[in-house]
Amino acid sequence: MKYWSDPAQPITAFMKLFSKTTQDEDLRKSMLGLNQLILFDYTQDGPDCAIWLDARNNQLSYGPGKPPGEPDLTLSTGADEAHLSWANKLNAVQAITRGKIKVRGSAAALLKLAPKSKKTAEYYTEALKELGWEDKLDMK
Amino acid sequence: MKIAEIGFESFFTWNNRPKILYSPGVRSELAFEMNKLGGHRVALFTDRGIVDAGVAEMVSEEIRNSNLELAGVFDKIVQDARIDIINEGAAFYRECQADCMVVVGGGSVMDTAKAINIMIGDGVDDFQPLARQGALWDDVNVLPPQIVFPTTAGTGSEVTYAMVILDVEAGVKLAATHPLNADVAMLDPELTLKVPAKVTAFTGMDALTHAIEGVTSTTAEPISDALGLHAIRLIFQSLPVCIREPENVQARGNMLIASTMAGMCFGNAMTGAVHATAHALGGKYGIPHGLANGIMLPWVMEFNLEEGALRYAMVAEAIGIDIRDMNPNQAARAAVQAVRRLKEEIGLNETLKDFGVPADPEKLAPMVDLAGSDSQLPFNTREAGEEDILNLYLKAI
Repeated sequence: MKYWSDPAQPITAFMKLFSKTTQDEDLRKSMLGLNQLILFDYTQDGPDCAIWLDARNNQLSYGPGKPPGEPDLTLSTGADEAHLSWANKLNAVQAITRGKIKVRGSAAALLKLAPKSKKTAEYYTEALKELGWEDKLDMK
Repeated sequence: MKIAEIGFESFFTWNNRPKILYSPGVRSELAFEMNKLGGHRVALFTDRGIVDAGVAEMVSEEIRNSNLELAGVFDKIVQDARIDIINEGAAFYRECQADCMVVVGGGSVMDTAKAINIMIGDGVDDFQPLARQGALWDDVNVLPPQIVFPTTAGTGSEVTYAMVILDVEAGVKLAATHPLNADVAMLDPELTLKVPAKVTAFTGMDALTHAIEGVTSTTAEPISDALGLHAIRLIFQSLPVCIREPENVQARGNMLIASTMAGMCFGNAMTGAVHATAHALGGKYGIPHGLANGIMLPWVMEFNLEEGALRYAMVAEAIGIDIRDMNPNQAARAAVQAVRRLKEEIGLNETLKDFGVPADPEKLAPMVDLAGSDSQLPFNTREAGEEDILNLYLKAI
């Protein structure tokens, strides 16, 4: 991994990000609109390197590791690509067409969140700063 | 003004698969190309309008006069690539024991046929799970040979790997992508001579929108620039001629080439707020896609000038405007004016009001919401929030 020293680091950062985005009214509304259980699978970088978001039944929850049920959508990629993606520095179309992100299940609803990526990236920057990981914002 | 060096991402990829043949009458090469691909029993996919206009017959005749066998003609495709029709089309292909596919039609026909071919390759009976997955880039199977003849100059679907699918049950449009589109695209302007003036006008504006949004998108790069800018040149030269002289084969040919180039441009560089707002207009008010694009294009260009003047200056130069004594803002504004003049010249004077779109922010809210969550919006030159989108709609009414 280029940006992380161990597989626990990205999970810490992404969980912090989720704690922020799920408190933002606009993003919360958009996430509830997904009505899906989504697994963000980064296990290629460590067996526990995964997070899930459960937006089913008009309720939001999230956590690390295995999801509480069969995911409606699984996005598999590396923790480095995930870092770039949450920072809005990854061209998702290109990443999918080049096999860097693999999609399994219904991605139609998630695509609708694409215009929220800039706002999400702002929260991600905040999260990294609060964790004292400003160095990870250098993505050249 | 001298155009400064325009920057682009240090890494980009270029996807473009179909072999392209162009010539008036190029359909005579169909059997040669299909033989090379290994196809023999042809299922021809088209729509009723193309059949009634005698255009499907122009291609069928070539099949019958060759060593190919016409296994069947499926002409049930309607506006928008509908999942129920896609499933029916795949069943038809299997029933008539075809081993290859020829497609004659516009965007809806080509998108439907792309989806059918994926179903045949994957051996599935229902396209809905694939449409909902959207990105179909993993575990790709070999597809049957497919040759397409676009009959309108606008969509560019003959060279893009995307298809817009209408899920009738859910009442939503879904975008799906797959790396294997047609094997060969044959651009035969003789097949487009009977397209009515209005359809010629708004499909032409569709192609122009693809080119301008592709050139000005956040993921524009030099190859897509080259294609998009030349498409703009050809469209400004030839679209008015096609309206005045519908049987002018050279002008029709230039428009087909422009549409294909614009398709290659936006298929790689993506689009922007015109498409985001137009998709919502199509979904809520049934406005044909090219027409919705044509209505929104000048307003979105004007909105984007603030942050994308240099790239719009490139557009102005491609239009044929002498920009040597202009600064980028002046050149960009001249491009917007030229687009407005072109619309007048080809008789596209509609506004959103003509389609019953209300000038009421509350009533527009669902459409703003739709456009605001469109997957093409992040590629727009300038970030457009909900208020910006609302203002764009209000201006276009």
